[in-house]
Amino acid sequence: MEKTKVTIEEVKRLAGLSSLEFSEEELKSFIPEFENMLELVDQVKNCDVSDVEVKYTSHKLAQLREDCAKDSLPQEEILLNSPKTKKGSFCVPKMLD
Amino acid sequence: MKFEELSLIELVKLLQEQKVSSVEVTKYFIERIKEKQNLNAVLEVYDDAIEQAEKADEKIKNGFKGKLAGVPVIIKDNILFKGKKASCSSKFLENYVAQYNSTVVEKMLNEGAVIIGRANMDEFAMGSSTENSAFGPTLNALDPTRVPGGSSGGSACAVAAGLCPVSLGTDTGGSIRQPASYNGIVGIKPTYGRVSRYGVVAFASSIEQVGPLTKNVKDNAYMLGVLSGGSEHDETSLKIEVPDFLSQIKGDIKGIKVGVLKEVEEMVKGLDVEKTYHSVIDFLKANGAEIVYSSIPDFALTLPCYYIIAPAEATSNLGRFDGVKYSRRSPKATNVDEIYLKSRSEGFGKEVKRRIMLGNFVLSSGYFDAYYNKAKKLQQKLKIEAGKVFSKCDVIVLPTTTGVAFKLGAKSNDPIAMYKEDLFTILANILGAPALSLPCGKNEEGLPYGIQIIANSLNEGMAYNVADYIEKGYRG
Amino acid sequence: MQDFDIVIGLEVHAELKTNSKVFCSCKNQFGSTPNTNCCPVCVGLPGALPVLNKKAVQLVIKAGLTIDSEINDLAIFERKNYFYPDLAKAYQISQLVRPICIGGHIDLKDKRIRINRIHLEEDAGKLVHSTQAIGTLIDYNRGGVPLMELVTEPDISSADEAVEFLTKLRQRLIFADVANCKMEQGGMRCDVNISVKPKGSSVLGQRTEMKNLNSFKSVYRAINYEANRQIEVIRNGGKIVQETRKWDDNHEKSVSMRKKETSQDYRYFPDPDMLAVEISREDVENIRKTMPLMPEELKKKYIEEYKLTEYDADIITKDRDIIKYFEDTIKLYNNPKVVANWLLTDILSKIKDEENAEIKISPKDLAKILTLLEQSKISRTVAKDIFAKVWEENADVDSLAKEMGGSVDEESLKTIIANILATNPKAVEDYHTSDTPEKVFRWFVGQVMKETKGKANAPMAEKIIKELLK
Repeated sequence: MEKTKVTIEEVKRLAGLSSLEFSEEELKSFIPEFENMLELVDQVKNCDVSDVEVKYTSHKLAQLREDCAKDSLPQEEILLNSPKTKKGSFCVPKMLD
Repeated sequence: MKFEELSLIELVKLLQEQKVSSVEVTKYFIERIKEKQNLNAVLEVYDDAIEQAEKADEKIKNGFKGKLAGVPVIIKDNILFKGKKASCSSKFLENYVAQYNSTVVEKMLNEGAVIIGRANMDEFAMGSSTENSAFGPTLNALDPTRVPGGSSGGSACAVAAGLCPVSLGTDTGGSIRQPASYNGIVGIKPTYGRVSRYGVVAFASSIEQVGPLTKNVKDNAYMLGVLSGGSEHDETSLKIEVPDFLSQIKGDIKGIKVGVLKEVEEMVKGLDVEKTYHSVIDFLKANGAEIVYSSIPDFALTLPCYYIIAPAEATSNLGRFDGVKYSRRSPKATNVDEIYLKSRSEGFGKEVKRRIMLGNFVLSSGYFDAYYNKAKKLQQKLKIEAGKVFSKCDVIVLPTTTGVAFKLGAKSNDPIAMYKEDLFTILANILGAPALSLPCGKNEEGLPYGIQIIANSLNEGMAYNVADYIEKGYRG
Repeated sequence: MQDFDIVIGLEVHAELKTNSKVFCSCKNQFGSTPNTNCCPVCVGLPGALPVLNKKAVQLVIKAGLTIDSEINDLAIFERKNYFYPDLAKAYQISQLVRPICIGGHIDLKDKRIRINRIHLEEDAGKLVHSTQAIGTLIDYNRGGVPLMELVTEPDISSADEAVEFLTKLRQRLIFADVANCKMEQGGMRCDVNISVKPKGSSVLGQRTEMKNLNSFKSVYRAINYEANRQIEVIRNGGKIVQETRKWDDNHEKSVSMRKKETSQDYRYFPDPDMLAVEISREDVENIRKTMPLMPEELKKKYIEEYKLTEYDADIITKDRDIIKYFEDTIKLYNNPKVVANWLLTDILSKIKDEENAEIKISPKDLAKILTLLEQSKISRTVAKDIFAKVWEENADVDSLAKEMGGSVDEESLKTIIANILATNPKAVEDYHTSDTPEKVFRWFVGQVMKETKGKANAPMAEKIIKELLK
């Protein structure tokens, strides 16, 4: 099978979806690596699964959690690891809404 | 007393009979961790470890008979223990302090465990050598020039080096079994759902499980009994009674049907592990097991199947690490978009980024059907194929790895070679079936091979029975 | 506008009336201190897992039953992935492939609006944009509150229809106790998809989406504004760009949001932390049994069975509280026509202009008064007096009835009436000779009431007067 080619635009698109930034250099070196990874996963294309139906693991409606409210964590514990908090809230630089 | 030479079960007995105290044992292992610091297996010894041990001793004195009363345990760095750091060996979570207890920690604490520290791992459990840790690689317990395997490399090394009697790892594609194999110990990935994942930092939710790493099979069965059982916090955990795994070890394998896969027979040709693999099969046959030649025709596709499903789930699971609520925020960020971009770019290591990118590729519009959906169907197909095998066999026996532990750095620049480390282990994750690795024989340098026993779902007892028999009788 | 057709589809979100959140047991409560109804699950802490709330699923099924949806026998939950600070996990758990409800419809005055689906998802947290110095604050109390999202087919063709649709939908959700739909608290929000095309054309125009409209008035204005804007663009030879626009209520116009946010790839896939949910026919039937009649059905019942006038039935069925009052009262006093009469003339007229008006007489007390009246234990006048006293002073019906009622017995009444006739011979004569004896007769009745301070039973008094006048 022919190796899937990856363009720099494609990698940039994926970086965007991933919320990751790469330097142009990193992007370029990423391409052959990524093509190798695709070569690996592209093997699934050889497999005929046309007659296979994915089965979902399920539970019955009756087995679901009952609607009982319980105590939450204290606010200070919720905010414990936050890089920045103000007024009992997580805080980020002001956004335009 | 050399506590590292005792089995878990022996140690439990000594503690319960109050022949030794938990403080004594805990101090002993902490001392060993310090002595073996060069292994870099343990990232942190909790500062209240001795205090925990004191409390355990108090409880034991008052008649407490918990299954782990006073036993020091080390957990992988992706398992939450309230008030303690859990970094997933990532710079991104370097200072993350768990805000709640995972179910497994809760269960161990209920049985009186003394959780003494956290073990190094591949960042976010992505890797097969523990070289992807942001805090430096762990060394193999048996040969410091080699990798301990991964991602639970720290946990495996800790047990093998006698830094604790038992540790916890997580296994998404072989992350307990491969390092167990490389360090010459026993590790199991339980049936999917057997152990709750609540409070375990998720990598690929649909296939991963927590499991114990121990020096021998019986210890492992004992420990799995503690960890098992459904949780109301985890829909995917199985709300069924937990069997007594130890009592399922019968000391006899007569009539047990051992599946040997045609595909595996082909794959092992020329591999390091080939001889050991065949001699284990011969051993089983010679001792009354029935060898059933079977086939999982799509076995070779487990690897690509895994490298679609796991990154897809990972990319979504790791979205929450964004520098907003927890995890390190980039000081360079001046607005929200930059918080995401820069925090994540600075926080995640290379392998994690690779998998996030791959995950987004297979999920993204235009590719979803060709990759993700296809892989899910392939997974279903593999389950059907394996179902046929298990209708005729009690267990499947195959190698854990292609050979012994490889040299540090040997594969770190070749992601695909590293991915292929999971060749034999992924099947069990894809199936959700329990799979155990135990050491079988050594190469001329004295490095262990690992043999894997996969049982049908919920049949850990069967795997333990066969493994125990091999452990007792097989001399490679 | 006349040369163009407007094509509108709505996506309506409503917060469900549960005690706890959809995937954790934190309180589903509006107005708490920031980040106090939060836990590992709804703040998306590492390792936390969703556990689905049964009630939330049941309420979505209920919502579906109010609009004749099909209920899927297997519901699947998916992750919708995107980064935004109000979304703790960087994905929202929602439903794409197998939502709980499929299809359905709501009939407007002269048109049927088809529903595509209703699914269950989680609400996001709340962002408070403070000063530059403080920044944007994130409160996850609302994160994980159960939301139903209803999506219509593009069957709506005017702002009026949109509002009519929303009014009916809101009424049903409130009736079925699915949602409070408090729009001012964000309990019901609406996204509008809108496009225009030349009249009669079968080719759909490019559509734009306006997000998070939180009052019917905004929906109305936004649709009219956006339709006109699109028509203008086309008339001027321009093209409509597919985009998300934000409705600015203060300036009454829609503005384009950044393109980046409009071309999202959400990468939906089944949430591996969750199991699919099996919904059996029995489950659905059990829920159906708990369904109250919807306003339209009730109205029909009131007219056909209870013989109320259409006008009365219409007024009573407009409001859930009024219906409840009416139903509760007729359970205790089974004469719907009489109850409706009192309800409309004596109760609703009193409160029609008040906001948050409350009915200050219980169904039990009203039923008591009506029963006493029917049994002739009190007169109509006394009944009205008692009603007024209960309303104003929360007085006790029984003791009032004893005091004011205990109506005059037949013997005493005869004596009283005989007396009246004796002292008014002129009137007696008039009665026998007048062309309009009825008028005189009524005068006698009035005298009896005056003499008995209203305690006389009117029919009984009339009977005795007639007898004695013979």
